[in-house]
Amino acid sequence: MLNFKFNQNEINKIGQFSKKEKDFRLKNLLYFNEVGFPNKRSEEWKFSDLNDIISKNFKNLKIKFDLPKKQNVEFIKDFEHNYIIIVNGELSESNFKFENKSKIKIQSYSDVYSKDEEKKNPLIFLNNALSNKGYCLKVDDNYKFEKILVIYNLFTDDLNENILNSRNLIQLGKNSEVHTLTIDINKSKKNFFNNVFETLTLNEASTFKNIYLQNNKSNGYFHKYLKSKLLSDTNYSSYILTKGLKFNKIDLEFDLKGERSECNLKAASFINKNEHQEIKTRINHYAPNCKSFQKVKNCVEGSSKGVYQGKIFVKDVAQKTDAYQLSKAILLAEDAEFDAKPELEIYADDVKCSHGSTSGSIDENAVYYLMSRGLNKEESIKLLVDGFLNEIVEDIKNNSIKNYIEKKLNY
Amino acid sequence: MLEIKNLKASINDKHILKGLNILIKPGELHAIMGPNGSGKSTLANVLSGKNGYEISGELNYFGKSLNEIPIEERAQKGIFLAFQYPTEIPGVNTSNFLKTSLNKVRKAKGKKELDTLSFLKLIKEKSNELGIDEKMLSRQLNVGFSGGEKKKTEILQMKVLEPKLIILDETDSGLDIDALKIVANGVNSSRSKDTSFLVITHYQRLLNFINPDYVHVLADGKIIKSGTMSLAEQLEKTGYQGIK
Repeated sequence: MLNFKFNQNEINKIGQFSKKEKDFRLKNLLYFNEVGFPNKRSEEWKFSDLNDIISKNFKNLKIKFDLPKKQNVEFIKDFEHNYIIIVNGELSESNFKFENKSKIKIQSYSDVYSKDEEKKNPLIFLNNALSNKGYCLKVDDNYKFEKILVIYNLFTDDLNENILNSRNLIQLGKNSEVHTLTIDINKSKKNFFNNVFETLTLNEASTFKNIYLQNNKSNGYFHKYLKSKLLSDTNYSSYILTKGLKFNKIDLEFDLKGERSECNLKAASFINKNEHQEIKTRINHYAPNCKSFQKVKNCVEGSSKGVYQGKIFVKDVAQKTDAYQLSKAILLAEDAEFDAKPELEIYADDVKCSHGSTSGSIDENAVYYLMSRGLNKEESIKLLVDGFLNEIVEDIKNNSIKNYIEKKLNY
Repeated sequence: MLEIKNLKASINDKHILKGLNILIKPGELHAIMGPNGSGKSTLANVLSGKNGYEISGELNYFGKSLNEIPIEERAQKGIFLAFQYPTEIPGVNTSNFLKTSLNKVRKAKGKKELDTLSFLKLIKEKSNELGIDEKMLSRQLNVGFSGGEKKKTEILQMKVLEPKLIILDETDSGLDIDALKIVANGVNSSRSKDTSFLVITHYQRLLNFINPDYVHVLADGKIIKSGTMSLAEQLEKTGYQGIK
């Protein structure tokens, strides 16, 4: 098995750093070189042996230093929107034509310091050591966006066994509101690994909504870790709508730090042959009267794997917590695999917490019923799968955005 | 139109149909009555092409064997089964489903597919004709429908698809008198010299409204007696015991 290690000199090539920052990066690089990519022996990665996957699919992993050429983006015409363009993790262009620009700050971001000691995840060590790009978005107090912000997330065709480490930071001021739509656009033909570390802070009474749409295929391997902090009366909601990639792990952690904060997460994924996707959530209820909700739906084809690990943690002070988690999966072949690991850890006594998980093959009676109305087997299964996953998409309030997404997804 | 000769069917080595014969000519309405477990639903399933049965004997539809014809092609050729327990199809809009189904059948017949506007017009017309609330069409197919609503939706599908051979599998069971009239009305308005019916039922109630040409009694996988409406009336009085 190959062992991927990175030379300390790589840090010098990324940029000029203060001694303190350089030491921080070096320390993290040494950590990573010691443990390597995570494997199934680690509880957090027991269903996704990344070390094995990387070893089998990469001969090499090089850091990409040169700046990408300017990319042409096919802009969405279906609804008016602000946008930022991210190329290989780097902020390339931004346009806030519908907003009061004085209320918004957007810039490249490479401040690697993280107060949270991410002890367990080697990919965060790697990100800490090698991160050299990303964006930072700050919204002033009391500013509510007029239109949605689309984040075009591009990967260029010259990527070839590269590793991209980027870091993003989003900060919403008090009583502000932003809706975003993140779309991955893959132009690469060759393998690459994308490792993102994002932090999100919602200050009091702010609202953040995100739709993540992944509908085009690539040979990219993706990992994203999101650490969010929700202060009181905030509202976070997110839709994860994916059509499967070689490897995609979306690891989301939410600290509900202020009272009456709310975190809603809905996901619908279709995982094709030879693909692997894991969604992992950890909701930390640290304050009373907060709500959290996760509904994760997966359809998994043969020779592929879907995973959902969801943990709800309720601290002793977090009374009147209302937490709910549901995972549903349809397995479309004998050798399709879906692993669900729900976990509740509750230290408060006056809470409402529940979870459910189902997985099974497609309802044969439903297939028979549809076939008896003239649809063939494939068409019947497709209709049932669409129906199963569309329930999540149907929930999107804005019709023009919903229609656009339905058009793009067509599971 | 449909000729069944010495039909035997078994599932998991359990013999259910044990040599059944029926001849249905165009325009005829045949009723099949029989006690629980006599094989009525198996007959309906076998005619629709449901997988899982071991079958022998002849099933001829317009002179051609159905044996190797898959479920969807039977539907496209005009065989329609109204289910005893219509399956709930979550996330699938009733109206969209019906449009897909209709266009499948039309395409197989060599007709042009209907666009959304013409389809909506058609479906509005058919549901008004039957006295079915159009709101049902915007709901998910059969999901959360009452027993009556499910059966009414089956009848609406029947009207829209315009099949040639219609099999009703206990469509009248569990219906109140108003819903029963909708079903009967659906049947009567579909009767023509080219359309035939096989109506499986437990009760004379529905038959009073639809006037069958023939009534058969199915017991232990065979037709043990055939007759006209008077046979159904006799059954109602004496029960199946009286027939044997």
